[in-house]
Amino acid sequence: MKEVTRRKFLATASVAAAGAAAGPWVLRAQAQSEAAPVKIGVVVPYTGVYAELGVSITQGMRVVFARENDRVAGRKILMIQEDDEMKPPVGIRKTEKLIDSDKVDILTGPVHSGILMGMRDKVHNSKTILIVSNAGADAISRERCSKWIFRASFSNWQPNQPMGGWVAKNISKEVFLIAPNYQAGKDMMEAFKETFVKAGGKVVAEDYPKLGETDYAPYLTKIKQSGVKAVYCFFSGTDAVNFVKQFDQFGLKKTIKLTGAGFLTEPDALPAQGQSALGIITGHFYSPLLENPTNKKFVKDFRGLYGGKVPDGFACQGYDTAEVIVRALRAVNGNTQDKDKLVDAIAKVEFESPRGHFRFDPKTHNVIQPFIYIREVKETALGLNNVPIDKVADVRDPGTGCTLPA
Amino acid sequence: MRSLRAAGFAVLVAVVAAFPLVAGNYPVKLLQEILIWGIFAMSLDLLMGYAGMVSFGHSAFFGIGGYVGALALLKSPGLISALLLPAVAAAAAALLIGFFSIRVSGVYFIMLTLAFSQMFYAVAFQAAWLGAEDGIVGVPRPAALGFSLTSPGSFHLYLLVLVVCAVLLLWRIVRSPFGHVLRGIHDNEGRMQAVGYPVNRYKLLAFVIGGTVAGVAGSLYAQLVGSISPDAFLWTTSGEVLLMVIIGGTGTLGGSMLGAAAFILLQSMVSSYTERWMLILGLTFVLLVLFAPGGILGALRGRVGIRS
Amino acid sequence: MAFVADVFGQALNGLAYGVLLFLLSVGLTLIFGMLDVVNLAHGSYYMLGAYAGLTLIAVTGNFWLALLVAPVAVALIGAGIERTCLRPLYRRGPLDQVLLTFGLIYVFEDLVKWIWSGRIRSIPTPALFSGSVTIFGATIPSYRLFVIVFGLAMAVALWALIEKTRLGAIIRAGVFDSEMTAGMGINIHRVFTGVFAFGAALAGLSGVIAGPIQSAYPPMGASILVPALIVVVVGGLGSLKGSLVGSLIIGQAETFGKVWLPGASMLMIYLVMALVLLVRPQGLFGRPLK
Repeated sequence: MKEVTRRKFLATASVAAAGAAAGPWVLRAQAQSEAAPVKIGVVVPYTGVYAELGVSITQGMRVVFARENDRVAGRKILMIQEDDEMKPPVGIRKTEKLIDSDKVDILTGPVHSGILMGMRDKVHNSKTILIVSNAGADAISRERCSKWIFRASFSNWQPNQPMGGWVAKNISKEVFLIAPNYQAGKDMMEAFKETFVKAGGKVVAEDYPKLGETDYAPYLTKIKQSGVKAVYCFFSGTDAVNFVKQFDQFGLKKTIKLTGAGFLTEPDALPAQGQSALGIITGHFYSPLLENPTNKKFVKDFRGLYGGKVPDGFACQGYDTAEVIVRALRAVNGNTQDKDKLVDAIAKVEFESPRGHFRFDPKTHNVIQPFIYIREVKETALGLNNVPIDKVADVRDPGTGCTLPA
Repeated sequence: MRSLRAAGFAVLVAVVAAFPLVAGNYPVKLLQEILIWGIFAMSLDLLMGYAGMVSFGHSAFFGIGGYVGALALLKSPGLISALLLPAVAAAAAALLIGFFSIRVSGVYFIMLTLAFSQMFYAVAFQAAWLGAEDGIVGVPRPAALGFSLTSPGSFHLYLLVLVVCAVLLLWRIVRSPFGHVLRGIHDNEGRMQAVGYPVNRYKLLAFVIGGTVAGVAGSLYAQLVGSISPDAFLWTTSGEVLLMVIIGGTGTLGGSMLGAAAFILLQSMVSSYTERWMLILGLTFVLLVLFAPGGILGALRGRVGIRS
Repeated sequence: MAFVADVFGQALNGLAYGVLLFLLSVGLTLIFGMLDVVNLAHGSYYMLGAYAGLTLIAVTGNFWLALLVAPVAVALIGAGIERTCLRPLYRRGPLDQVLLTFGLIYVFEDLVKWIWSGRIRSIPTPALFSGSVTIFGATIPSYRLFVIVFGLAMAVALWALIEKTRLGAIIRAGVFDSEMTAGMGINIHRVFTGVFAFGAALAGLSGVIAGPIQSAYPPMGASILVPALIVVVVGGLGSLKGSLVGSLIIGQAETFGKVWLPGASMLMIYLVMALVLLVRPQGLFGRPLK
């Protein structure tokens, strides 16, 4: 009797001891997966001329996270936002803070391509997952691509390349090109030329005023004197407002059709452009007037959350970024430790976005634009806005020079 | 007194050297930025506090050092690219700019130096071969004497060694007969001229020394961050380093390092907490000028630093 | 013939731009010349003028009213800043003024962003001048023609004020030698505040005038400072004539730079400055340096 009892006692005791020893570990693991939040780093400008974009992107992200009650796979979602002021040194400093100090699980942003190029190596070498929510530098989908970097916004090439053929066919075979004198501006005009020239178009002249130019008078006079019937351009933010207004003031609207990359008439510029923007035709992957049910709900939710503000392309980029994060995390059950698995999950994400059917191109980790919409600025129920009048389907960045996994 | 100060300096250097062992990557990066901006500010203090030349274009040399260093390192990552070429380029630029600027003084000097640095900004901003608006990225860290300096620990020590050398150099210059003449010129240029000193030549030499150290700082900055952009030339960069000198206390050398620390820490920490950081920073400067004219070091020492 | 029309068109552009520069810099040259004050925040008054104009137009719908009232508002702000922040610094030399006014740039920019949001705001062109006209084959917005006429009229009015009135004589005396002027029993403090406020008002006025062309956005103050400083240096500190001639020259140089030398257009203004200063380091019409 005693031996059985002792063995039983020992067995029971050891089980109890093991349980007691393991108990705290099990409890802590459970507590960790419940208490430890998923950290999402956001590095965009919240001050400076492009603050509107940073705010819009963040707002788009919040629409998704709010819908999910700020939780995914049993973990809380914690957004850590940092202001990069659109300055590369600050952006890189903030990126390092988010990666090294805050130890974010996923990084998102930036708006400025210069900051993106500056942070690329740090992100790649530290194996941090980055989902680009704006910056369009083509290089990130080409020779500088990385297994850890995904882009949910656009590459500079995408909104422009389809426009070339369309403008040649529908507007005029002769254009004057004008864009600010920096990499993005030059890249966009090159992308336009690809299909424009092939469709029989002729570039009469090109001009590249300095970024941040406030007085376009000499260029507008040149445009008038060249005798063209159409202009294709890229401007954004303050430049877009000043160019469009001055274009109108010089009376050019009466005889010349103004076309361009979609950023020319996005809602960060449209209210200030006012009537001067009427009739401008641009190419973009988004318009708040898109008829698909996801977008209708998105517009409704966005306006509800933000006092009637109408979402724009930047908000859509934020929405898609957040949606990708949520779906990928769900697919791996919230496990942010196994990064390779998380990367695979992100690459496989597919869903209905306000812009259409969203998926990444496995070749470049860049989003495949379901459509590039050709839009015209008109008066609508939502005020002055970009109304889709035509579209080009399935636009993917050529990804020349990208070899994944890198 | 001197040995006490030397001991204190040695302790400080040791603490800075050991910092990466106890702190995470981000605080170490901040410290390294402070060190680099610190010698940048000190080189300006040589001009301002000792020679009495208020330059609003010191960013020109920082930018030149940064760009020359970046371009050279991309071609061949050695110490010559990292240090020698930027120093020579910055010295040459300082000689040129100094030659024209020193002919005038006071407000005109401020304006002229500002305009020169903006000229460099305009060139860097528009030139495609300099990366235009985006600048140059992917700058590698140099390899020295067979050792690669890419590991954080070795880079930290390399940086520290160079910063200490710069500090000691400036410190020696300020205490040398040359430094005394500079101070004499600052106090009363006419008298120095009457006594027979070639005042302009002294000023030019001070300008070139200051510019050279600033150029090395610029190159180190490009190595730290891995990139350089036209913003390095902006007049607001000149303004910020000017602020660092004034905050720390003009004419104190060490104050400039403190000023750099104060500015960078303030900027980083405040901007992480509030969107209104520009307002707070601006108000801080305004209040500082009105109520603490000697800067930090001046307030600490209870007296006003040497100023024009 | 077409070439002549082209050149004429661009020359008109240069004239409009030059006049805008003049309005912006004339206040700065007076402040510099008279008070010897490095006022880096001059661009901020330009910005405040533009935003004050924006609000006044939004409230009253009248551009001309805004043109009249906004500069007054900016003058009051300028006077306040001079009395509280700058007066203690006159003895202390340029260094502290640099720091203080640099801090003010940050303060004003953030305040404007706080009140009006960082979004770029458009200032509507007055209805009277919202079209465009064609002169000798060159098309120019009628508003820019108005700017040219207005600016040149302002130049004449300022000249009359400074050369032909007692107040002007006091200002000229103060620019030339403030100690002597004070010694003659004139309340130099009040004159200083007045001149500063006047300079700020002129900057604010140019902000309203430039508004329909360049719109309003918070960094506009910091970005306009360098061109204004260069005009002042080229023209000569404290010289009204210098401000006018300098800005007209730079207006043409920049415009034709953009047309004929696009890669170097940003450099033009500095090249002009370098050329002038090599030949006359005190500026075109500045007092000879000692």
